[in-house]
Amino acid sequence: MTKIIVVTSGKGGVGKTTTSASFAAGLALRGHKTAVIDFDVGLRNLDLIMGCERRVVYDLINVIQEEANLNQALIKDKKCENLFILPASQTRDKDALTHEGVEKVITDLQGMGFEYIVCDSPAGIESGALLAMHFADEALIVTNPEVSSVRDSDRILGMLSSKTKRAIEGKDPVKEHLLITRYNPKRVSEGEMLSLTDIQEILRIELIGVVPESESVLHGSNQGVPAVHLEGTDVAMAYQDVVARFLGEDKPLRFTDYQKPGLLKRLFGNK
Amino acid sequence: MSHKKLPYFELRNSTVDTLLFIVKSTDLSELRAELARRYEATPGFFANDVVAIDLRRLENERIPVDDVAALLNEFRLRPIGIVATEAQQEWAGKGNLPFVELRERRDASKPAAAPDAPDAPPATPPSPPPVSESTAKVAATTMVIDKPLRSGQQIYAPGDLVVLGLVSFGAEVIAAGSIHIYAPLRGRALAGVHGDHEARIFCTCFEPELIAVAGIYRTAENPLPDNVLGKPVQVRLNQEKLIIEPLRLT
Repeated sequence: MTKIIVVTSGKGGVGKTTTSASFAAGLALRGHKTAVIDFDVGLRNLDLIMGCERRVVYDLINVIQEEANLNQALIKDKKCENLFILPASQTRDKDALTHEGVEKVITDLQGMGFEYIVCDSPAGIESGALLAMHFADEALIVTNPEVSSVRDSDRILGMLSSKTKRAIEGKDPVKEHLLITRYNPKRVSEGEMLSLTDIQEILRIELIGVVPESESVLHGSNQGVPAVHLEGTDVAMAYQDVVARFLGEDKPLRFTDYQKPGLLKRLFGNK
Repeated sequence: MSHKKLPYFELRNSTVDTLLFIVKSTDLSELRAELARRYEATPGFFANDVVAIDLRRLENERIPVDDVAALLNEFRLRPIGIVATEAQQEWAGKGNLPFVELRERRDASKPAAAPDAPDAPPATPPSPPPVSESTAKVAATTMVIDKPLRSGQQIYAPGDLVVLGLVSFGAEVIAAGSIHIYAPLRGRALAGVHGDHEARIFCTCFEPELIAVAGIYRTAENPLPDNVLGKPVQVRLNQEKLIIEPLRLT
């Protein structure tokens, strides 16, 4: 059975694409055949984060409009052999994304034996975001520890429970997972950011992970390397934990408590 | 495939929500008396809501359907059609109203629930509806919402409303009657929207953006006193003033 996971948030710039790339790569690293689709038609970014922007020939819209077949458009990832990327179109209008077209692409991917299909949703609550979530079985709601992001996530949760295929057909609801990104324990302890418990108190859904704020995410993005591959960094470990929890493993939360830097660290500098 | 859009009009398949007026008696004067007793005090209650006349509960009796329609019109209900069994269609179709086909509402949140038998009255509580959806049953029943209401969602209940999940910032619950919320209220709650001054709001954790009873409202702009903020609370009207008081849950 193929599982379709949408990565969504409502608000822009919270880390949806970073999460889609790392989550899909994480699943693939564990041996699952995974496809990741960029739904952000007109503002495609996933190919950059995945480092395959120079290998894009055909895209999602070409497939939907039957100008190319799915095999031509899928880009095989260089780092993991089980990972395939379906880029968005940069030149087309976002109206080119149709319900029937997306359904066909997803059905075809299921037919090709993919275990997981990760849908990278655009920001906002327009048709692109609705289509990205429409066929989802599970959802990763990416939220930053600040009020506007939390409120937008709340809005998206409402749409997941009313506008998706599962909701419309009256099946089991889309399974929701909260992923908090850009979490900075120091700023939380100083009261500048919402804490984990604040966010959970507002949204009240199960927490799948916390990704700390980190400079390595930016470095990774610039080099086209998903954060999960950045060995030894807290971000990579956090994303590996997220994937493990998604696959049903029990992992304690990491990187959520602020430890005061010790004397040596203070003396020799802390970035 | 996209439909070619005509410049002047379009014909589309669609589903329209109406009230059902289920006729249980053939005595017109009784019907009128009961309607008057229940709704005369609030003449604006139905405000031109559309309604279908459901005859299926009348087994072998007959009733002049046009007279029922006229009666409903007096109470500002607008009849649009008749729901009848095949046997009834023979006599019921003689008036001005057409027959409409009824599809029982299925509760989207409970796929396992068996659909009602076709001749049973609609008894399942409606699923959380979008804006201004009305129940299949005529008013004054209690609507129960068991899912959390998220920012941007709005619920309208023609009678009382019971909410078991959280009402988020930016969500709105509206009822003609009272509102009971067994979770935090962080959005807006408007009770007695058709002018019922007796309506109240009850809530187990009171952190609202706005509350209103019969149009008299209060926003969170003036901070709520500590003895009610985040506490179990009831809100009622006393001589056009909103009274917010802690509930003593003993």
